[in-house]
Amino acid sequence: MSGSPARLVIALSVAATLALFLLYTSLAGGATRSLQPGELRAGLGTVNLAGLVLGPVRGDADAAGMRFRLRDIAGTASVPVVYRGSVPDLFKTGRHVFVRGSLRRGVFVATPGSLMTKCPSRYVTKGG
Amino acid sequence: MAVAGRAALYLTLALLAYGATAGSLAALRGRRRLALSARAALLAAFASTALAAAVLVAAFLRDDFSLVYVAQHSSRQLPFAYTLAGLWSGQAGSLLLWLLVLTGVSSAAVLLNRRLVADVLPWTVPILSAIGCFFALVPVVVASPFATQAAPANGAGMNVSLQNPYMLAHPPLLYLGYVGLTVPFAFAMAALASGRTDERWLVASRRWTLASWTFLGVAILVGAKWAYETIGWGGYYAWDPVENAALMPWLATTAFLHSVMVQEKKAMLRVWNVVLVALAFCLSLFGTFLTRSGVINSVHSFSQSSIGGWFLGFIALVAALSTVLILVRLPLLRSRSHLESLASREAAFLYNNLLLVAFALTILWGVAFPLLSQAVRGETLTVGPPYYDFFLRAFGLPLLFLMGIGPLVAWRRASVRSLARALAWPALAAVLTGALLVVGGAGSSLPGLVAYTFSVFVLAAIAHEFVRGTRARHAGGGESWPAAFASLVARNRRRYGGYVSHAAVVLLALGITGSSLYGASATRRLQPGQSISVGAYTLRYASTTFRPGANHDELRARLAVFRNGKPDGTVAAGKNNYHVEAFFSNAVAIHTDWLHAEDLFVIGDRFHPDGSVDVKVVVNPLVDLIWLAGLVFLLGSVVAMWPDARERRRLARRTDAAPSPARLALLELRDRALAALRELEFDHRTGKIADADYRALCGPLRRDAAEALRLLEDTAG
Repeated sequence: MSGSPARLVIALSVAATLALFLLYTSLAGGATRSLQPGELRAGLGTVNLAGLVLGPVRGDADAAGMRFRLRDIAGTASVPVVYRGSVPDLFKTGRHVFVRGSLRRGVFVATPGSLMTKCPSRYVTKGG
Repeated sequence: MAVAGRAALYLTLALLAYGATAGSLAALRGRRRLALSARAALLAAFASTALAAAVLVAAFLRDDFSLVYVAQHSSRQLPFAYTLAGLWSGQAGSLLLWLLVLTGVSSAAVLLNRRLVADVLPWTVPILSAIGCFFALVPVVVASPFATQAAPANGAGMNVSLQNPYMLAHPPLLYLGYVGLTVPFAFAMAALASGRTDERWLVASRRWTLASWTFLGVAILVGAKWAYETIGWGGYYAWDPVENAALMPWLATTAFLHSVMVQEKKAMLRVWNVVLVALAFCLSLFGTFLTRSGVINSVHSFSQSSIGGWFLGFIALVAALSTVLILVRLPLLRSRSHLESLASREAAFLYNNLLLVAFALTILWGVAFPLLSQAVRGETLTVGPPYYDFFLRAFGLPLLFLMGIGPLVAWRRASVRSLARALAWPALAAVLTGALLVVGGAGSSLPGLVAYTFSVFVLAAIAHEFVRGTRARHAGGGESWPAAFASLVARNRRRYGGYVSHAAVVLLALGITGSSLYGASATRRLQPGQSISVGAYTLRYASTTFRPGANHDELRARLAVFRNGKPDGTVAAGKNNYHVEAFFSNAVAIHTDWLHAEDLFVIGDRFHPDGSVDVKVVVNPLVDLIWLAGLVFLLGSVVAMWPDARERRRLARRTDAAPSPARLALLELRDRALAALRELEFDHRTGKIADADYRALCGPLRRDAAEALRLLEDTAG
């Protein structure tokens, strides 16, 4: 059954899928790094930053920008963040959030509208 | 009470452990009574799990906060319906519900198939019990729902996002889908283990596969509807790992449901089918692992726990054991026929399978990418929606096109003449619609235009199939038109049910295309009296209202809507403030315009002290077709699954005489040839197959049937 066209089709489609992958990675540039503040360094470009919000939260997200610090989930390293755009309801000090952006002169400048909070799954203590 | 629950869980674990060990022993040694006792243990495990679940539900209904799980997920203020949902609002309870569904589905599948696959069942029972064992071990050892404490005055309340009717239905539907995939897996593996690799395992598990696939699909759509209405960002699917977790097994099962037909009609792809079943089951386990372990960063989060390692180990074990079993039984799975032409129905199924599996695997790659890159390069890389959108187009559009062609291509070999005849009308309809769409301005997005055109092509092909079939019956049997239509569908439930499901997928494609490629949105901070405009809509902010309530307070911005300058009602968008949970949630306004087939989606984002409010307005064209697709999808599955008395009689005739494997294979060969002849006859009568092709295809099929009959007579003598 070496001449079975089924094998040819399968081989061709595997090749086509690989070609699509290459096409995608060359066009779109591939993946984004997901980091915590402690791993942030200059020259990484746009990254996804995850961390806990440290107060005080100052400024207006609709105007010049809201400023706060993000700290490692389990650690002490932190980075100042400036953010503009819609602020999720759950956003507050101590919350686990994700934000996209890049480090510019020591400040993490967020892509507008990229702030997301992780939904807390349980409410062990009131308001927790 | 908690003691009773805990005892029932331990009993379940013990019964399932017995079912697995005694069952395997019985299957290996051929002990009939031991096998029956293993089966009884599996049924009893369902009863004891039901008892445990009843204890937990009763605790929720009585607000018994001495149970830690109840205190964490309920409160005295919680409305009744949501109190019931408490069972699955957290990890430990979800696992208990999972176990309940698993033991229930296993018991039912075993009982209903005890005659059809009597020689395979001794293996099915221990496999189902072993899987049940794992799911019983986790709530017993790692996360018990029956831990107790000194009862606090009130519970912490239920996650506010879950307080929604869609969320009430989403988790149980999803579990039914995930867990249901255990049945085809267990039957496939049992068929391999027992060496009875004829088609009965497919027949026995077919409806279970179809049902789990339906539940999974409906659950995904219900989840999307929930996200659309309560999360409130204007979309319904965000390619989040937890959402993808359900999509992957659905895609793999879709592939399986199609390739199964090739095995039934042509006895081909037998290895591929058992691989797909194992893949779908592993993906459903992987989905559970993703949602339950918190290993991958997701916007969704569930209680993180040590459960992850258990699941990963179990997935690895399942994958390894099924691979070994398939390899050992490879000689039994050799195909007796091969692909005759690249332009045939079976080839179309093959392309469809490759596309579906490739799509499922690219999603898997994207979901696992953070883990892989962490392991290989030491840094976590993630891929976002652009990655998934790219592959949705790369694989989804060809799939859509194939959905129009596949049903029109003849089995075995299609001639150019037959193809042209079958495709002429749908192609004409598609080209005309495409031209109209370009004139109408849909050319702004090329993928959108292609998706619309392909969708029309598929819908026209489906409609043409129904019309042609009904006409042939009407002409042939002298039935009235409605009667001809009804008997057409009733006599070919799987085929026409399948077409209805195809129509649902087209509606889904139209909805996704319209809302993601042809929508519009705007955001603005409005003072009372100010307006915001999007597309044909203008919204004027009138006032803010506040209404206190027992479970939550409601804060709303009221806006007057104008479409092309004409008043079109008012909307109220804002926030709910939940007291016990101390939590704000979005309460968006969705204003559906049926006439123009679009949604006006309004978000009251932030309420400022000066009385102004941030308003986001999104116009989502065709998005309601997605929800309609869910209903049509359900209808298609019900048609395809509806019990068929004639089919059952035929199967009973084949298997009731308890034939030897060799004779059974001959009986299958005969039935396959006769069924193929019947279908060819009908397709010829409807005009789908040209006369010349009909004559060419008829000959070999008649020879096959005659050969099978002759051999059957020889063995009978």
